[in-house]
Amino acid sequence: MIAFDGVTKCFHGGSVAVDSVDLTARAGETLVLVGPSGCGKTTSLRMINRLIEPTSGRILLDGKDVRKSDPALLRRGIGYVIQQAGLFPHRTIEDNIGTVPVLLGWRRSRARARAAELMELVGLTPDLASRYPHQLSGGQQQRVGVARALAADPPVLLMDEPFSAVDPLVRASLQDELIKLQSKLHKTVVLVTHDIEEAIKLGDQVAIFRPGGKLAQMDPPERLLSSPADDYVERFIGFDRGIRRLSFVGAEGLTLDREPVVAHDMSAADALTVAEQLTEPWLLVVDAQRRPLGWAAAAELALAARDLPVGDMTLTRYGHTFAVRSDSLRAVLDATVLSSTGRAVGVDADGRVAGVTSYERLRAAIHDSSGCGSPQLAPGRAMPS
Amino acid sequence: MTWSWIASNAGLIRQLTLANAFLGIMPALLGLAVSVPLGIACVRWGWLYPPVLSAASAVYALPSLALFVVLIPYTGLSDTTVIIPLTLFSLCVLVPSVVDGLRGVPEPVRQAATAMGLRPLRRLVTVELPLAAPVIFGGLRVAAVSSISLASVGQLIGVSSLGYLFIDGLQRSFPTEIYVGIGGVILLAVLCDASLVLARGLLTPWQRQRQRRRRPGAVVGAPVGDAITRTGHSA
Repeated sequence: MIAFDGVTKCFHGGSVAVDSVDLTARAGETLVLVGPSGCGKTTSLRMINRLIEPTSGRILLDGKDVRKSDPALLRRGIGYVIQQAGLFPHRTIEDNIGTVPVLLGWRRSRARARAAELMELVGLTPDLASRYPHQLSGGQQQRVGVARALAADPPVLLMDEPFSAVDPLVRASLQDELIKLQSKLHKTVVLVTHDIEEAIKLGDQVAIFRPGGKLAQMDPPERLLSSPADDYVERFIGFDRGIRRLSFVGAEGLTLDREPVVAHDMSAADALTVAEQLTEPWLLVVDAQRRPLGWAAAAELALAARDLPVGDMTLTRYGHTFAVRSDSLRAVLDATVLSSTGRAVGVDADGRVAGVTSYERLRAAIHDSSGCGSPQLAPGRAMPS
Repeated sequence: MTWSWIASNAGLIRQLTLANAFLGIMPALLGLAVSVPLGIACVRWGWLYPPVLSAASAVYALPSLALFVVLIPYTGLSDTTVIIPLTLFSLCVLVPSVVDGLRGVPEPVRQAATAMGLRPLRRLVTVELPLAAPVIFGGLRVAAVSSISLASVGQLIGVSSLGYLFIDGLQRSFPTEIYVGIGGVILLAVLCDASLVLARGLLTPWQRQRQRRRRPGAVVGAPVGDAITRTGHSA
């Protein structure tokens, strides 16, 4: 666990970078420090491994003031990942990864074996081991940076804008892998970013800093989105926080309609009867395995030959589906918005249709999820501004 | 050009060439030995660099012959009398190259080294100096070549070098001897430069591979996203 206790940092010339910050990174969780540039988030991070010393206040690592530890020894027990990886250009990938193990006195062969293990963990192929950093892509270098930080299996990982120098596609895949990695390793991670989306995606807790080095709010992401502490936090999070909050609400609370789903071999006449009984303008046609084929319009059923199986008609594309068990309401909303019928198809883990939903159903589910007091959300702590 | 003279004096020419090589290479190596700690100090204490640089430039402006003469009472007519001034001259090139090399170490790399728990001395020796090496080698090449050519001036105070061939050739109005002297100096300089380039290649293997570019390594093993857009970067 890492605890900031009234930490202040003034630089020469009197500018205050960090102003009496109290915060806690719980063991095994990811704490994201986020804010505009110059808000003190990076300074805060660097005070943890003593790259910068606080002017006043204490930083406790597992209850012990970091300033009571020898800086070099302290740092060998804390993984550190920076923007653009900061790899040693003159060392091969395996030797870069083995830096801290070698410092700790491991034999080179053991350090190399460990490097190979970590390369696999972060998704790098073994043939890259003897290459130099400049021979790798930016995304690969960043993976090496993560592997290097994990080499000596430190309990704490500090990440300073680790993904900001790579393009959006690579960034998204690195973020996903960090989440996967963290679910296996359970490190205490403190990550700095200026990207609120990244903070919300990666953080168990998110600490928003305001200019002047003050902490504006520290809470789990869903709590930040549902109850920002003040106007600053709300503006910082952005205008569509209502929609982004839906990322944290699972689709399982949504009511799905099973009636407007018809088999591909049903005749047009029977399907029309179903549509008329339900007063539904659209029916979803599924195949023998209940996989979606497309939407049949009631208006067209009326014009079709009575015996024609609905599966042989021209159907309207069903677009994205959403997984009922694992997707969020945000994915359902997206699928609904993109669907030309205003209806979205929910599937189970095997891709079989579980039911269909519409704007009306979605509206009810969103309404249920945002009831006053939000009882299903974890309790958070609003910091005084 | 009297070719027969070359053949009959091969022994003398070889001897003078070796002497000249020694007088040229020693100052560059001694200069390096002085410049590395001096350069490190100049980077560590920035205020030190301007006066050190001014002093080195001022020394460089002195005529070599004058310095030889000043040193004769102390070191006599020995190699040392030539080596000391040439060493001082080399500082004018070597100190800036050490300083530039060290200052050119990317800040993220330095910071990562510190953050991983390398103490300052270890960081200097295992990270900063190796990364500064290519720039330092550049300075060393200039220093060595210029020492080799300046060493011939030592002949004026009787320290033997290829300079002997210039003086003797002039006195005897015998151009062949002068041409051979010039040729010898050029040959020495080229050989010395080539061996430094070779040494740099051996000591900085990461640079060698850099020149070959990174085509094969760039995409291999990259998860889907990585492969797509990275082409312009090479660290």
